[in-house]
Amino acid sequence: MPHCPPEQLALAALHEPLPDDDARHLADCAVCRTEVDSLRRAVDAVAVPELAEPGPTATPPASVWAGIAAATGVTAVPEGVPAAQPATAQVLPLRSRSRRRGVLLVAAAVVTGAVAGAGVTALVRGGDDDTRQLTTVALDPLTDERASGRAEVVVRGDGSRALEVQLDAPALDDEYYELWLIEPDVVDMVPLGVLRPGSQTFELPAGLELAEYPLVDVSVEPLDGDPTHSGVSIARGQLDS
Amino acid sequence: MSELLVAPPSPPSSVRVVFEDSVAAGSGAREPADTAFGDLAPDDAEVGRRFAAGDEQALAWAYQRWAGQVHGMAVRAFGPGPDAEDVTQQTFIAAWTGRARFRPGESPLPAWLVGICRHKIADTWARRDRQRREAEAALSQAQATPTGTPGPSVDSVVADRMLVLDELDRLGQPQRGIIELAFFADLTHSQIAERTGLPLGTVKSHIRRTLERLRSRLEGDGAALPA
Ligand SMILES: [Zn+2]
Repeated sequence: MPHCPPEQLALAALHEPLPDDDARHLADCAVCRTEVDSLRRAVDAVAVPELAEPGPTATPPASVWAGIAAATGVTAVPEGVPAAQPATAQVLPLRSRSRRRGVLLVAAAVVTGAVAGAGVTALVRGGDDDTRQLTTVALDPLTDERASGRAEVVVRGDGSRALEVQLDAPALDDEYYELWLIEPDVVDMVPLGVLRPGSQTFELPAGLELAEYPLVDVSVEPLDGDPTHSGVSIARGQLDS
Repeated sequence: MSELLVAPPSPPSSVRVVFEDSVAAGSGAREPADTAFGDLAPDDAEVGRRFAAGDEQALAWAYQRWAGQVHGMAVRAFGPGPDAEDVTQQTFIAAWTGRARFRPGESPLPAWLVGICRHKIADTWARRDRQRREAEAALSQAQATPTGTPGPSVDSVVADRMLVLDELDRLGQPQRGIIELAFFADLTHSQIAERTGLPLGTVKSHIRRTLERLRSRLEGDGAALPA
């Protein structure tokens, strides 16, 4: 019997049962099975329950809309959601479980006032290759920390952006450094990833408004599996956009 | 404006990936009369059009109507708490800042929001995976002799998932709607044909071509396929 029609193999990749003839052939034919497996890689990557069509609804807390309104500047208010309050009343509690050292993030509003201007430079440069540096910022140590560094926003030819970070800081043993972009009023933040002393490049999410998250922050995170900011920051700078 | 806000909410609309509107869109015959404009509660299609046009009230309406579904997905993936809330928040922020890419004639706004939510869920998985690997690597580097080992790579399924979701965004209709019904609604090709009104053979050949296209993307030679 000839190989199964290509359309049938695609349906098999979707885990649909085939007509008997095709199913029998497929069971015995390595060529067709290889084809099904190669088509199935995409299916298995996304056909998971978490990504399925929406099921039961859940009402998000009011802070979710507050964050959307703050990030977009939209002042219209959905029915049933409390109106946004002044930003000072909106600051989400930071889960600062660890107070071993450093400055608590909640103090950031004060701290950034001091940091901004100190060592923050901005340069816009024409493209060497197809990568353009947008702005560069010094990461200044907070209080008596020994960490410092610099961060540069680069834009590549394809429009993707990255943050190139140089960090001078002592190595950690049972903790790690993490890089964040944070709103000026420290309501919302975007984790960019684990940071090691030395040079590293972090992809910036497409669509992320850097102007909304101008604070480049380095935190110390315990190995506790908690994805939120530890509340312990050791260095910070402000992007000048 | 205050009248708009006190109007009774429209019945909760369901998110459907069906694209019957877009199938008929070429004829323009199904466009409802524009009577809802300025009325108490614009219909979903009108909210979609105003959203695309940048009307801020449309973002509030979209949140009012579909945040529950989006957040339901986020909670299903991560349980209630900061991760789910972040996914929901980032979904609406990304939808608003990326509204230029939303085509109201091609897909309903709630389906588009759900698509963005899938990306945000996959992003969160990828971030967790990266953090876990990098933390483990940092830990083992600190404990063992550093030998210039390559940095941790993202789990291959995590990476596949992001590539596939990205490629789905590049598909036109009806291909995207068809494959989403197969992937996310778990419909068979004959159920998809029934749901969409497209001929069985058309559905099958679109499925085949889309899976080939996704395979090319995953195998690395299809990054710039035209939509
Ligand atoms: Zn065969």
